Amino acid sequence: MKGVNSAAMQAEQLKLDGNLCFMKNRFGAAIDAYTEAITLCPNVAIYWTNRALCHRKRNDWTRVEEDCRKAVQLDHNSVKGHYMLGLALMQRKKYAEGIKALERSLDLGRGANPRSYMVEEIWQELARAKYQEWEHDSTQRSWDLQNLKECCEIALVEKYSLDVTQMEGFTDEITDSASQQLQALNSVFSKASEPDTPKEIPDYLCCRITLDIFRDPVIAPSGFTYERAVILDHLNKVGMFDPITRQPLRPSQLVQNLAVKEAVQAFLETHGWAYRMD
Amino acid sequence: MTSPSASSRKALSKIATNRLQKELMEWQVNPPAGFKHKVTDNLQRWVIEVNGAPGTLYSNETFQLQVDFPEHYPMEAPQVIFIPPAPLHPHIYSNGHICLDILYDSWSPAMTVSSVCISILSMLSSSSTKQRPNDDERYVKNCRNGRSPKETRWWFHDDKV
Repeated sequence: MKGVNSAAMQAEQLKLDGNLCFMKNRFGAAIDAYTEAITLCPNVAIYWTNRALCHRKRNDWTRVEEDCRKAVQLDHNSVKGHYMLGLALMQRKKYAEGIKALERSLDLGRGANPRSYMVEEIWQELARAKYQEWEHDSTQRSWDLQNLKECCEIALVEKYSLDVTQMEGFTDEITDSASQQLQALNSVFSKASEPDTPKEIPDYLCCRITLDIFRDPVIAPSGFTYERAVILDHLNKVGMFDPITRQPLRPSQLVQNLAVKEAVQAFLETHGWAYRMD
Repeated sequence: MTSPSASSRKALSKIATNRLQKELMEWQVNPPAGFKHKVTDNLQRWVIEVNGAPGTLYSNETFQLQVDFPEHYPMEAPQVIFIPPAPLHPHIYSNGHICLDILYDSWSPAMTVSSVCISILSMLSSSSTKQRPNDDERYVKNCRNGRSPKETRWWFHDDKV
């Protein structure tokens, strides 16, 4: 028993040494310290995530992934483990898996402390990941659509020449209907590509202060909805009033607007370009 | 003592930059009637041309507004002044400072450059006399060190002019 304890204490000390090196940007030395700690106590998730963070600083994403996989296996609730695993997967362009890991870490992080800097950072990375996924998928989709459209056009033109040779006489009618069909085809395909074409985000999904799409919408007694962080900032700095109606307003009167939140989710689901952040 | 560029000295925050880019885009698609944004690459200072509304004392006159945005816009009001020569108006000083509550105490972050412009134009349009405020000389003298109008303790004239 004594032996186990002293190994744990030694490993803790090595972790502290590693943290010190990390703060001085001596990542190689920090990795050595965490590795020793892991050798002594391989079942402590934090040693693995700390070492992963060093690998991340050195852009060694393969090792980040390895260490994080081990960490989340040891501790299913490791925010940092899921977070860096997500980043590593995104580096390998494993979009779906990466997004899943980032979403898991965001859920866990929100559960632990919704106001922490980690949550904000994870959210930003998740939005970036979703945008990258959309960019990748939409390129593929537009390529597929373009090919399909060309095939359809060729088929229509061929059908037209066939009709003309078969039916002597009424060629005017055939020409008219063929050009109408080509036009209709065009509009069908341009409709199909609409969701992937960036445009303005509807006003009802945007905060009247940030002018940006909602993330965490809250509704005031006036009926107006605002972005939570920004309306709280306003109440704190500008004054205790509703920015649009100027009625008195206290933070405790703000209620999460679930309907708008769901509408935003639904919009983002089909319009991934709206994840773009400047 | 604050220089006139006090509000533009500190770089815009991320929130401010984001919001101003959105406002500028919206302005380009849908500019308020009677106003023209002079294109520059400076997001933090907008220069806007104002045309006096037809049928008012200022019809056929053109003025220039200078709008400077603080670091924490829109949690703080922008600084809005006329570049002299400013319109002759009972609430507008000859140095271009404008006595309008929404630019100071009554600012709200839900207001935009566009809505501020409309308020200024409506203030001009409702004027029935072309004259400077009574305390113009004293006020302008006090501002000689380049004080921003946002430093002024405004005592707002009533709505009627």
